[in-house]
Amino acid sequence: MAEEKEKVIEVRNVKKVYRMGSERITAVEDVSFDIYKGEFCCLLGTSGSGKSTLLNLMAGIEKLTSGQIIIKGKNIHKMSEKNLAKFRQKYLGFVFQSYNLMNSMTALENVEFPLVFKRIPPKRRKKMARDMLVKVGLKTRLEHKPKQMSGGQQQRVGIARAFVAKPEIVFADEPTGNLDTKTTMEVMELIKEVARANNQTIVMVTHDRRLAEFADKIIRILDGRIESIDLLNSDEKMDKESVEDTQEPESFQEVAKKKEEKKVEKKVDEEDNIQSLIVTQSETTSGSEVTGDNELEETSAATVESD
Amino acid sequence: MKISDLIKMGLRNLSRRKARTALTVVGVVIGTISIVVMISIGIGMNTGFKSQVMELGSLSTITISKYAAIKDDKGNYIDTKEQIINEDLLNTVKQIEHVKTASPVLNAQLTLKIGNSVEGYAYCSVMDVDAMKEFGMPDVQYGEMPTEENPDVLIMGSEVPKNYFYSTKGNRYEPYQFEAGKDKILAYMEMYQYELKDPAKRAEFYLGTNIAILQQNSQYDYQCFMSLDTFKKWYMEAIDYIKPSDKKKAIKALKEYETIQLNVDNVKNVSKVEKKIKEMGYQTESLNSYLAPLEQTSNMMQMVLGGVGAVAMLVSAISIANTMIMSIYERTKEIGVMKVLGCCITDIKKLFLFEAGMIGLIGGIIGIILSYIASFCINKYGGPLFEALMKSTSVMYDNSVTTSFSIIPIWLPFLAAGFAIAVGVISGYYPAKRATKISAIEAMKTEG
Repeated sequence: MAEEKEKVIEVRNVKKVYRMGSERITAVEDVSFDIYKGEFCCLLGTSGSGKSTLLNLMAGIEKLTSGQIIIKGKNIHKMSEKNLAKFRQKYLGFVFQSYNLMNSMTALENVEFPLVFKRIPPKRRKKMARDMLVKVGLKTRLEHKPKQMSGGQQQRVGIARAFVAKPEIVFADEPTGNLDTKTTMEVMELIKEVARANNQTIVMVTHDRRLAEFADKIIRILDGRIESIDLLNSDEKMDKESVEDTQEPESFQEVAKKKEEKKVEKKVDEEDNIQSLIVTQSETTSGSEVTGDNELEETSAATVESD
Repeated sequence: MKISDLIKMGLRNLSRRKARTALTVVGVVIGTISIVVMISIGIGMNTGFKSQVMELGSLSTITISKYAAIKDDKGNYIDTKEQIINEDLLNTVKQIEHVKTASPVLNAQLTLKIGNSVEGYAYCSVMDVDAMKEFGMPDVQYGEMPTEENPDVLIMGSEVPKNYFYSTKGNRYEPYQFEAGKDKILAYMEMYQYELKDPAKRAEFYLGTNIAILQQNSQYDYQCFMSLDTFKKWYMEAIDYIKPSDKKKAIKALKEYETIQLNVDNVKNVSKVEKKIKEMGYQTESLNSYLAPLEQTSNMMQMVLGGVGAVAMLVSAISIANTMIMSIYERTKEIGVMKVLGCCITDIKKLFLFEAGMIGLIGGIIGIILSYIASFCINKYGGPLFEALMKSTSVMYDNSVTTSFSIIPIWLPFLAAGFAIAVGVISGYYPAKRATKISAIEAMKTEG
């Protein structure tokens, strides 16, 4: 099933080394995986495991030490700053743990913000932002400033901002890290719902195993390496979710245990897949890079035209 | 980002930090005021000098003197040169292009007697009646200028009646105030260089009340004038009383002039004509040669004053840079988020440059408005101070000259506004560059 789907993100032998004074700290060590279109992927790990770094690398916010990350067929670490900015406008959305809203702007203006960079005319972008805020249930809070809203409401604004431009990929770094349990569930449901409606790909970082249950694919990270990659059957999960709604949080662990058993079988297939992928990738690396660059030029030309 | 969005966002950012923006703008305001006011004072001074020099006579007049002073480029006296000035030269000079009128100017020394007890002594310039007006002689306040019917008129400068007569009663020589229309004058022409046949006998010329008094003008105030025709008539009469041996010399002397004055059609052509006469081997003098060093002085003053203004502007430039750097520290997180949301670094740079330029523009406009007020106040109340200042720089300063001390020409506000914007943008350049270099990941980690 996975093979039929379009590969959106390809992570190949990615390595990230920090320099702290004279010490070198390896945050991410030789990591490779794929994320497919429409997938909800979760990077699960304890704090300091390198999961956030990996997300930042995938988003092009941080520079790679070695390896490559290919998003939509383009090697994002070979792009110029300007093209990367254009690329972010077009394909990427972000949800942050600390919301990162502009305090001086109203909710509506915050959601409008990425559209401003995309040079969308004021009337149209205002409508888009309003529709998005209505969708996340903040119809009555359009003109409120972030400081006048609760954490959950702020994160809803953050989600609206991430999804308003209809990006193909949305990165979420601990989106519920500052929220209470009830709001967490609401926010997670919201993200999932919005993403599913538009067949958008989500890459989420969390340390909370329960939240990982929302994902289709869980990549467990430990000390900068992949511990395991688990695929969850979406149909199966749907049933579980309905159970979860009625039962208290303790059921999460049970569910996880049950799932773990099933996953063992799947994991074997998955690993085979990865191995074969790595082989094919290494064969085609040089070729794909060239075509990637060509495509980049095309898209930048296209954006100029659309301007 | 669209320009309209950029402007909206920039203005919003400025209004978010009202106090700091206002203080920085005040810096620019002070800088602009000092530059505009200083330059306007310099221009006012220059204009003042010019009108003072004009007061000394017409700027379009050139003088060729028998004893000509030779000056260096800065107007300092070096030497005197004696040159022969006669009718031939007068005729050649008249032929030069741009010369409107030319007249010889001779000197006569007259003793004036009123009755038996009052005597006066007058130094008299002699020239063609027609030329007098051309050379900028002021109008008469009493009597009439010489005409064909009445050629023999003695023209007095405005100070002559007050200062040049004294009583010969006793030996105290008390000053005597001449009363025009009442006192009747008997004139003698003095010829000290020749010996008289009989020291007691001299030529007498009865003028009676036939005199004219000029209006005030510093160049004409302290001497008398008479027409060339009258002078020639009197001279020929007077030489009858000198010894025959000197007579020939005296007649020959009449052919040589003390000076020739000529009037040029336009002030701009004065130096051109002067150059031509100099090529003929004659030394000339004109108010232009006064004006040049004065203009140099005022240019120097202008530069010094402008420099003071520039220092104030430099300080305000530093304060703009400081404000923008502070603003970057404050907005580090915001910049990081903007970058992650797909804002081009060029847009971030433009945003900061716009904000800095805007501070310059606002400060410039307010500064220009205040400069006009300041200029008005200087002209109205700054009189005593600036008179003292002008006196120290110009020997010829005359209180009667009423000029503006501060003049703002039409181009100055535009120049000042442009300069203020430029200062803003230039001092905002470094902070803007810095803003673009902020790493998004570091920026998002900071609080704010």
